[in-house]
Amino acid sequence: MPPAIIVEHVSKEFILRHNRAMGLKTRFLSVFHKNKREKREHFLALDDVSFTLEKGEALGLLGHNGSGKSTLLQIIAGILQPSKGRVITNGRVAPLIQLGVGFNPELTGYENIFLNASLYGFLNKEIKRRVKSIIEFSELEHFIDAPLKNYSSGMQMRLGFSVAVNLQPDILLADEILAVGDQAFQDKCLNKIAEMRRNGMSLILVSHSQEQVNMFCDAFLLLDHGQVVHRTK
Amino acid sequence: MPNPIAATFRPYWQYRDLVRNLVIKDLKVRYQGAVLGFFWSLGNPLALILLYDFVFTHVFRSDLPNYILYLVVGVLHYNLFSQAVSQSCESLTSASGLIQKIYFPRILVPTSSLLFTLVLWVVAILILVVLYPFLGGIYHWGLLLYPLILGLYVAFIWGIALAFSVLQVEFRDLKHLVDIALMFGFWSAPIVYDINVLKPPFLEIISMNPLTQFMDLFHALLYAGTLPALNHVLIASAWTLGAVSVGMVLFRRKARHLVEDL
Ligand SMILES: Nc1ncnc2c1ncn2[C@@H]1O[C@H](COP(=O)(O)OP(=O)(O)O)[C@@H](O)[C@H]1O
Ligand SMILES: [Mg+2]
Repeated sequence: MPPAIIVEHVSKEFILRHNRAMGLKTRFLSVFHKNKREKREHFLALDDVSFTLEKGEALGLLGHNGSGKSTLLQIIAGILQPSKGRVITNGRVAPLIQLGVGFNPELTGYENIFLNASLYGFLNKEIKRRVKSIIEFSELEHFIDAPLKNYSSGMQMRLGFSVAVNLQPDILLADEILAVGDQAFQDKCLNKIAEMRRNGMSLILVSHSQEQVNMFCDAFLLLDHGQVVHRTK
Repeated sequence: MPNPIAATFRPYWQYRDLVRNLVIKDLKVRYQGAVLGFFWSLGNPLALILLYDFVFTHVFRSDLPNYILYLVVGVLHYNLFSQAVSQSCESLTSASGLIQKIYFPRILVPTSSLLFTLVLWVVAILILVVLYPFLGGIYHWGLLLYPLILGLYVAFIWGIALAFSVLQVEFRDLKHLVDIALMFGFWSAPIVYDINVLKPPFLEIISMNPLTQFMDLFHALLYAGTLPALNHVLIASAWTLGAVSVGMVLFRRKARHLVEDL
């Protein structure tokens, strides 16, 4: 069986553009004022990261703020292009960098389920087949036809989480999102992820909690300033 | 993959319902709370036609027969261009929340923005369909060509929309400049006037405008009741090919690193 994810010597360099000229005025001023000119600084957010995630495995990503965890997930999800190296994925990848991407406050919960799920490449008829279990899992039956602006932020996150887990991805990329709603719902989410893991889903879990990583993951990587400084196997 | 063309389009086809859902979302957001909803889109062109009818039969007189029809055909088609191009500038920058969080073909963002404009416009054009015979319009077989000509025009607009959507990410003032340019654009094509009344230097300048070619096609079909001249169709097709090529190349080049600049 081919591995779920292969990350080969991935580096990512951002160009930080201080005083970036967004408009004509600043562009014009920068001709006369040296200190208003755009300064470019190269910043290495990921430095030669490699690992392989076998099908069904779970990997934890640990590291301080700004160590490059989200950047790595974005590259695996195809949102960002690596500056060097490459990433190979096998199977349907569901990035959960934020819950409820594309949610619109004016639309109802029901309509937002379709909007959100189609961003993951699902057709409406496929979503229709799952919509019942999505609503059931979110426990929002009574609110599902109300506009999202009337939801609390916890309710919105519950809906977003329910969509993501009911799309049955082969690979889930979860970026610090396992703090959803109240304690009871959090437990439900963790149980759901454990169940999906048993059914063969691969997982990359970004978390601040060593405890959560130990509970879910077979191995973990510790990132520091874009470099892998520790790994377990 | 037996068919390379099918293989190229498969990733986009997979996301067809995303485009549909985005367009429906925009329509719902636009009309939420408005009881008459969709019908407001009809009010605007209707008011336009009544106003022109009043002004140009009672205040000014034009030498062109059925001048109101001439004017309305031109104005409505120019509106499609100006609304779509103006909206396209902000399509990517206003979708940054989506683009930074999930991968999907980026080209679908300006494309669904154009489709949204097109849907509203098609509703508006229904007024013209109803009033067409009363304004002096002629029913003829050539009208069957209209969807093709409109498709060509929409493809031309799409190319420009792609280019402007990525350029706006780099130059945040672009939309303001484009909105001003669109006001001049209205007079740079034969919409209010007939191109044949122009004197030599202006005639050549106005003829270079791609919109002039498209206006000629629409006027021929919908106003004069004739088939458009073949050379006008060819020139318009060449402009479309050019706009789509430039738009696609620019979009492909910029789209890879779009996320980092938003
Ligand atoms: N689009 C971007 N442009 C410039 N710098 C960025 C961009 N995205 C992230 N960075 C920088 O890359 C570093 C790593 O960020 P991130 O991956 O979000 O860290 P983490 O998720 O581990 O907290 C940070 O220093 C951040 O400022
Ligand atoms: Mg992060």
